[in-house]
Amino acid sequence: MNVELKDIHFNYGKITALDGVDLALSEGACGLLGPNGAGKSTLLRILLGFLSPERGEGRVLGYDIKKEQFLIRRSVGYMPEDDCLIAGMDAVTFTAYFGEMSGMPRQEAMKRAHDVLFYVGLGESRYRLLETYSGGMKQRLKLAQALVHDPKLLFLDEPTSNLDPQGRNEILDLIKDISSKKDIQVLISSHILPDIEYTCSHVVILNKGKVAAQGDIEALKEIQYSLYEIKTKGENGGFLKALKDKGCRVEETEDQIMKVYMPANLSRNEIFQVALRENIQIRYFVKSRTSLEDLFAKTVGVD
Amino acid sequence: MVISEQGYVHWQGTFIERRFPWWPITRLGIRLAFKRKFFKFVFSISLLPAVMFSTGVYISERLDDFQFMLKGQDRLLEVNPAFFKSYFTSEPLLFLMVMIMVLAGAGLICDDLKYNSLQLYFSRPLRKRDYVLGKMATVFFFLLILTLVPGLLFVLLKLIFAGSFKFLANYPWIPVSVIAFSLLVTLFFAFYTLLVSSLSKNRRYVSILLFLVYIFSNVFFGIFYSIFHNPYFCLLSIQCDIQQVGAAFFRQSPHYDVPWIYSFLVLAAICCLSAFVLKRKIRGVEVVK
Repeated sequence: MNVELKDIHFNYGKITALDGVDLALSEGACGLLGPNGAGKSTLLRILLGFLSPERGEGRVLGYDIKKEQFLIRRSVGYMPEDDCLIAGMDAVTFTAYFGEMSGMPRQEAMKRAHDVLFYVGLGESRYRLLETYSGGMKQRLKLAQALVHDPKLLFLDEPTSNLDPQGRNEILDLIKDISSKKDIQVLISSHILPDIEYTCSHVVILNKGKVAAQGDIEALKEIQYSLYEIKTKGENGGFLKALKDKGCRVEETEDQIMKVYMPANLSRNEIFQVALRENIQIRYFVKSRTSLEDLFAKTVGVD
Repeated sequence: MVISEQGYVHWQGTFIERRFPWWPITRLGIRLAFKRKFFKFVFSISLLPAVMFSTGVYISERLDDFQFMLKGQDRLLEVNPAFFKSYFTSEPLLFLMVMIMVLAGAGLICDDLKYNSLQLYFSRPLRKRDYVLGKMATVFFFLLILTLVPGLLFVLLKLIFAGSFKFLANYPWIPVSVIAFSLLVTLFFAFYTLLVSSLSKNRRYVSILLFLVYIFSNVFFGIFYSIFHNPYFCLLSIQCDIQQVGAAFFRQSPHYDVPWIYSFLVLAAICCLSAFVLKRKIRGVEVVK
């Protein structure tokens, strides 16, 4: 396991930030999801070794998060959410500088900076001053500095924020390439659910300091519930109430289609039986593809 | 969509343990300062006092050749502790040091705060003290060139031009005083620069503040001294405090009738305040927001 946390507790004064978090991440890309205040940032701080948990233990890449923070920081790359640069520098010096700060020899850091900048698509503009970079270029630069020392694990904090659609797609393609082909595990904290769904195979959903769900995205979507789209004819008040009584969550869309989230333990036949009892005609019945958004809404309990 | 111009290649090298992890930060600070043309100009100007005093050392050994210039004022060119004191505590030198701090030191921390680069530093295996040391060493580099290097150069030139060790025999403590006072004044200015630099995210404000605090501390002293005629108001002035301590280091009588240790304590208090503020402002935990 690259990241392993057991019963992690952390409080900011009287506010509980993490409450018994257990986590196990191995290869590939993993998305870290959760509403504001769920504990995502605190979890990243603990993984980077900035905060020491009050209770519990954990290892990142085999290093103890309480005792071996320096070794962790040497082996992980971090791409922060905010724009970060050093005024007056060009990209190649900037990237090499942070390679050197990670412990790379100066000459090798410089050579590696060129390679990484070409990889992220900044090869042609690597000698331009950073102040003149566009938002998308700054984003790529942050990725380059996170990759320069060839980390085994990459923490990406909102990697696609403030990007136009094309820039966003390009960054997502890079992340996918890194996580799928380069033996680098990626942990992405993001609010943009389609980004997580596109790049990650695993997801950890945090809510109120606890892990609400974690695992393979596809498996989670299947296990937790099934989603059906239904169109009915007749007075459906009783039908809806009966479905809710059985534990289904029902959403009505503007085009008169009902989205029914069925718990895993119920069969779709139940819907027909309820419809029969309530004297409702089902005119349209489709098993819908569930999205991560649906899973997130269901897990966290928000629409 | 293919956007990479070349594929990702793993790095095959090994990490090294640096004896001085702060050195890359210092090197960068020096490099960025020298990128500015105005800084280069001011730095060159700030070497002029050292050149003038070096010339003074030379003339002091060739008094007969320069009598037509000195016209009986050769007492001024005697190389003794007072000569060193007047170099190290001269107003032009101290002013030029402040100018160097404004141009090379103002952005040291404030730019990192403005551009959020602290989080990049502390996501590396870097301690807070190494970060501060790296920034301080940048100020040290420039200020020691204006203090320690000329101070030792004067001693060396004196020995070379005199052709004997008489000067060292008379004042064996001078090199130690030069080193100690250079380090003290540089340490103070480094703390002062970093303190002010950490107070704002705007380099312009920091530059103005660095300059104004130094100037106005002197102006306030002048105002209060002229009203109350109490020499203890010299403690308000950074410049006077440095001059009082400088006089003590070179075994000269201080300009104001105030124990030099008070001035020393004022400078030490500013350093302590700076350390306290830096500890609070530079926080690795802010790496992740």
